[in-house]
Amino acid sequence: MTMSTTAGTMAGAKAGSMAGKTAAVEQYNYDIVKKFAIMSLVWGVLGMFAGVWIASELAWPFLNFDVAEITFGRLRPVHTTLVIFGFGGSALFATSYYIVQRTCQARLWGGRWLAEFTFWGWQVGVGAGVILYMLGFTQGREYAEFVWPLDIAIAVVWVTYFLVYTMTLVKRSQPHIYVANWFFMAFILATALLHIFNNLAVPVSFTSLESYSLFSGVQDAMTQWWYGHNAVGFFLTAAFLGMMYYFVPKQAGRPIYSYRLSIVHFWALSFLYMWVGTHHLHWTAIPDWTSTLAATFSILLLLPSWGGMINGVMTLSGAWDKLRTDPIILFMITALSFYGMSTFEGPLMSLKSVNALSHYTDWTVGHVHSGALGWVAMITFGSFYHLIPRLWGVAKGMHSTKLIYVHFWLATIGIVLYISSLWVAGIGQGLMLRAFDEYGNLGYTFIETVTFMHLPYVVRAIGGMFFLAGIILMVYNVYMTIAGAKRSVEVDVTAGSAAVAR
Amino acid sequence: MALSSDKKPAQVETTGHVWDGDLREYNNPLPRWWLWTFYATIVFTIVYWIMYPAWPVFKTFTPGLSTLTIEQDGKMVEVPWNSRYLFIQEMQTSPSAVRQREFVEKVSNASFEQIVADPSMLAFAPSYPSLADNEWLWGGSFATISNDLHKGLKGNMPAFPTIQGAALTDLSNHVLSLSGIEVDAASASRGKASFAMCAACHGADGKGNPMLGAPNLTDMAWSNIDVVGASTVDAKRTMIEGVVSKGIQREMPGFANRLTPVEIKMLTVYVHELSGGQ
Repeated sequence: MTMSTTAGTMAGAKAGSMAGKTAAVEQYNYDIVKKFAIMSLVWGVLGMFAGVWIASELAWPFLNFDVAEITFGRLRPVHTTLVIFGFGGSALFATSYYIVQRTCQARLWGGRWLAEFTFWGWQVGVGAGVILYMLGFTQGREYAEFVWPLDIAIAVVWVTYFLVYTMTLVKRSQPHIYVANWFFMAFILATALLHIFNNLAVPVSFTSLESYSLFSGVQDAMTQWWYGHNAVGFFLTAAFLGMMYYFVPKQAGRPIYSYRLSIVHFWALSFLYMWVGTHHLHWTAIPDWTSTLAATFSILLLLPSWGGMINGVMTLSGAWDKLRTDPIILFMITALSFYGMSTFEGPLMSLKSVNALSHYTDWTVGHVHSGALGWVAMITFGSFYHLIPRLWGVAKGMHSTKLIYVHFWLATIGIVLYISSLWVAGIGQGLMLRAFDEYGNLGYTFIETVTFMHLPYVVRAIGGMFFLAGIILMVYNVYMTIAGAKRSVEVDVTAGSAAVAR
Repeated sequence: MALSSDKKPAQVETTGHVWDGDLREYNNPLPRWWLWTFYATIVFTIVYWIMYPAWPVFKTFTPGLSTLTIEQDGKMVEVPWNSRYLFIQEMQTSPSAVRQREFVEKVSNASFEQIVADPSMLAFAPSYPSLADNEWLWGGSFATISNDLHKGLKGNMPAFPTIQGAALTDLSNHVLSLSGIEVDAASASRGKASFAMCAACHGADGKGNPMLGAPNLTDMAWSNIDVVGASTVDAKRTMIEGVVSKGIQREMPGFANRLTPVEIKMLTVYVHELSGGQ
């Protein structure tokens, strides 16, 4: 069993006969991991609720109740920020801090307070950001809507994160750096570059939240989408691959399939992603050669992306029997499958001829969610179900295995409803917008495309509700697991037993 | 299939490194199919770069071998591929652009008399109902006129593209016969059956329904198509067939926010008196 090996290693290092949990607390900083993990779930529930709400507003517009703060335009960045940076970001902080410590056999560098600073900085940044969006303060850059003072604060937090992470790597007591850490390093470094350069702006004044971008016109658009797509590439892909490279072999109890493949696809992925952002700007005022480079590098990116999927799936391949007994493996294999699917769909949509149909339609929105729900959220759920019991030292695992199954099916059904309805909506919308009548006039008015999309929008909102229901179940399961852990500690203490929860 | 083989991993060595108790790595070679597909994408990419604008070189860029043929100053010329030329080519050769150009040319070359003889040329000329004929689509009382001026009107007759061929001819003949136009009587009586669908709005007798803005089909007042002006019965019927297959969408904006209540009141009376009113 993986559980017993984990416990063995932790205890083996320093603490001798003292039970694993206490030893781990001394050896590693788990407190910060717990904090980030919990906040990840909190933001996850809020962010996915916001998502379900705005999806419902699109299907039933009266739901904005004429309140400016909750109209689609303001809640949309609230949703994306909460799920990407709140849920995804906190999950990455939690897992990266956990993984770097355990694979380096080193406590987090910088003492308690530096890590604590990254926690409070990140939470306050996300919280303040979304409140400001609702009040109408935004930079108007997709996935970078934070106003300039928050951008500066986030940059400081991020550089601190970089320091804590790299210095922990530097003082590792393992000769080699585990592959998950390469991906986290690439993610932290690239995100710093992207965030700082994309947010270069001139504030209107020191007392104003408004600012003007340093770039203009085509350069501004290309900078924004260099940022936007690499947020997908490094934040939502490379970093979650790091998560995958640790939790998949751990949960399966098997070695990674190919070290060589991990090196090749890591460098190919890191090199190629940086070029492709401009495919968000096909058929606009950008020069044709930038379009070509973006499309071709996107095609080149297909196999390096699949390298991660292959390594994950093949690692699981000796443990297929566990699919019947372990819902955590189910989450992981499904995540890898969606990762493979959306990294195939992406290069396809980046071809100019396909893009001419797909761009400005809901196909794009569906594509993003097959990655975000199918890959990012599913691998996070799987990893957390592995992580949470270990953090709180619950030997028997999560409170309820049955609820993990229910969560899995809610989430999977939700994703399928979501993606397939937006394929219908998006491709239909694209075809309608480019149809001509017999005199060469546009075949449909805009409102006809909206009417057409009503039903798919309803199905999409229902898909989102399924997914939200899943994470709410997870929160309950996590709460019960932690509460159970606390109770068993009390019992053990009164019984005078040192074997806490092991 | 490489993906389904689960014996292979066990046959190779791990790298010998161990992390966190049990994390190890096999050193399997790159899957063949993965490697060759990756090479294939590289070949695709290089061909793409050779064919299309691709790499910046100082102040210019590699233009690519691909070309387009467009019409310039009356001659066909070959130009390097780029999206602006592609757009020009589309506007010159795509079927819908060609149809649009042909239509515009046809109308611009036609005399007024030719257009009257071939009303298809008026396909999307705006048609406004006459306010002077005392035939009221939506009712002609002071109250309804005033209400319509405030809120605007949306007229919508759905299209019936499934009615085709002989059924369409019969139905159209029946509609013409409602206002006393001499048509093939047998055909018109066959069309009476399918008029049941139309009767929902136009009434069984074809007298219309001002609640829905459905016009009276018996009064020879045609506001969308010039049935009276068409010289032959065939031309008249073609017009009716067009309306049945394509439907009609018309809109008058509301003026409640653009005119004052007093202005609307005066306008109501003016419109009412244009034809005597109801």
